[in-house]
Amino acid sequence: MLMRCILAENRKLHGAVIWLVFLVVPIISALYGTVNFLQNLGLLTFDWYNLWTQHTLFYTLFFFAPMVGVYAAYLWRLEHLGHNWNLIMAAPVRRSYVFLAKFLVVAKMTLLTQGWVFLLYLLAGKLWARLPGWPPAMIVIWLLRGVLGSLGVIAFELLLAMIIRSFAVPVLVGLAGGVSGMLAASRGFALLWPFALMQAGMNSNRKEDMLGGQFAPFVLACLIWAGVFLSLAAMLLRARDVRAE
Amino acid sequence: MMTVQGTERPAIHRKGEDTMTNIIETQDLCKTYGSHTAVDHLDLQVPEGSVYGFIGPNGAGKSTTMKMLLGLIHPTGGTVRLLGQRMNEHNRRAILRHTGSLIESPAGYAHLTAQENLQIVADLKQVPRKEIDRVLEIVHLKEYRRRKVGQYSLGMRQRLGIAQALLGSPELLVLDEPTNGLDPAGIQEMRSLISEMPCTCGATVLISSHLLNELEMIVDHVGIINNGQLLFQGPLENLRRHSQGDILLEVLNPVQARRVLGTARISAGDGGAPDRLLLPALSPRLLAELVQQLADQGAGVVGVTRRTKTLEEIFLSLTETGKEVG
Repeated sequence: MLMRCILAENRKLHGAVIWLVFLVVPIISALYGTVNFLQNLGLLTFDWYNLWTQHTLFYTLFFFAPMVGVYAAYLWRLEHLGHNWNLIMAAPVRRSYVFLAKFLVVAKMTLLTQGWVFLLYLLAGKLWARLPGWPPAMIVIWLLRGVLGSLGVIAFELLLAMIIRSFAVPVLVGLAGGVSGMLAASRGFALLWPFALMQAGMNSNRKEDMLGGQFAPFVLACLIWAGVFLSLAAMLLRARDVRAE
Repeated sequence: MMTVQGTERPAIHRKGEDTMTNIIETQDLCKTYGSHTAVDHLDLQVPEGSVYGFIGPNGAGKSTTMKMLLGLIHPTGGTVRLLGQRMNEHNRRAILRHTGSLIESPAGYAHLTAQENLQIVADLKQVPRKEIDRVLEIVHLKEYRRRKVGQYSLGMRQRLGIAQALLGSPELLVLDEPTNGLDPAGIQEMRSLISEMPCTCGATVLISSHLLNELEMIVDHVGIINNGQLLFQGPLENLRRHSQGDILLEVLNPVQARRVLGTARISAGDGGAPDRLLLPALSPRLLAELVQQLADQGAGVVGVTRRTKTLEEIFLSLTETGKEVG
């Protein structure tokens, strides 16, 4: 039953304008990061790690969480418009699966976004900055950890987009979340704030591992945050009346 | 307010059973929003195989009722039974699997084609893809299947909404004002589409409208609702029985006519002219006897016109006064 919901959600993304955001925003982020890296070579070492710090400095601070917000807001906006709430809620599926399917689809989009970010990092390093050799394998791990770290934020942003019919709110909350995540992560509160988990997972603006070997607590925190917001969404969907506009 | 309950219903049989089956039954169904009662102790009974017109002015509680039937909103009180099962969290999915609906206005994703929109519903209902061809054929949208729904006219979107509802050959169709906003040709097309549903699809249809005359051609049962209360429910012919209206009598000698009517204890009102009298509704036999007496006693009967009330007038009378017209 969940698979059918995921299939339906995937189908809604066919030809969706959201793919434009998916393509363009990481390019802007990579441009900023690479220019910043090349202009600060007096302070930075000319290597792949330092390019990573500059790419993620902008990406995790200003783009990652708002992009998740855009994905979440878009998927719910499709339901808010055109009375589609009635359509999905009168479908013979668990209400919670509708939300869970959106969660998994946004997680999939986030994974794809990370892949695109990595490809842009690789291209910027090789073709633009002309860095020698190849990036360390750890970068790929950090990108995947970023997806794990984003799970709580995905669930939170989807919950927000489900309740608030404005497209802008989840995006602005994502922007504020990115900054607050950076502050929380830099003060050692990474596990206590879902937006900070994104930063810690990505090892944003750092060369040393921010998790310092604490991978299990990190995964646990990601799952707990996601679980809290998913449960809250399931409760709301069950208890609230459907209001289509 | 007075509720007029229809007394006659056609015997509906289900798979060899001898008893009539209601495919929708609500009991004391209520929905309140703060101090406002949207639906007030509603006992809806929709017989299997019928096309049931659920009629009431805007804001009467039609959409709220339909949403409660489908579990989209939670009743404040009362129960809903659909397809013989009580609508609750446990039965919700099993019931919805056999139900198609179009609530408020057609849903759809504007950036997707009709085919893709139907595929989404087919995925959710777990029905095979060939079903999409069947329903597109029924609503005459097959040649426009690859067009984006955002480019559809309202009529086409309504038809797509019907197609979505028809996926999976549901036993029950719940259609909320499917003719809303359509031009006369679109209304006509939608009417013929819906009236054929019990034959072509074997589905019982609950259809709402704020206009009785829009539905009287296609429904066989009617429920009239206003301010959340059911004012009439029953076969359409029961409602038509109330359509016998006043009688306009034209005579040469009104004074003599009034005398005869007074003796017969029939009150005569002003017919708009000195030689015209307005009589209350009378049975055909009584009317024949009265005309005979008037003629015999020199009233000079020139014309007798029975003013039949349209169903719309009955509907308006019911919804405005809350009770049946005399």
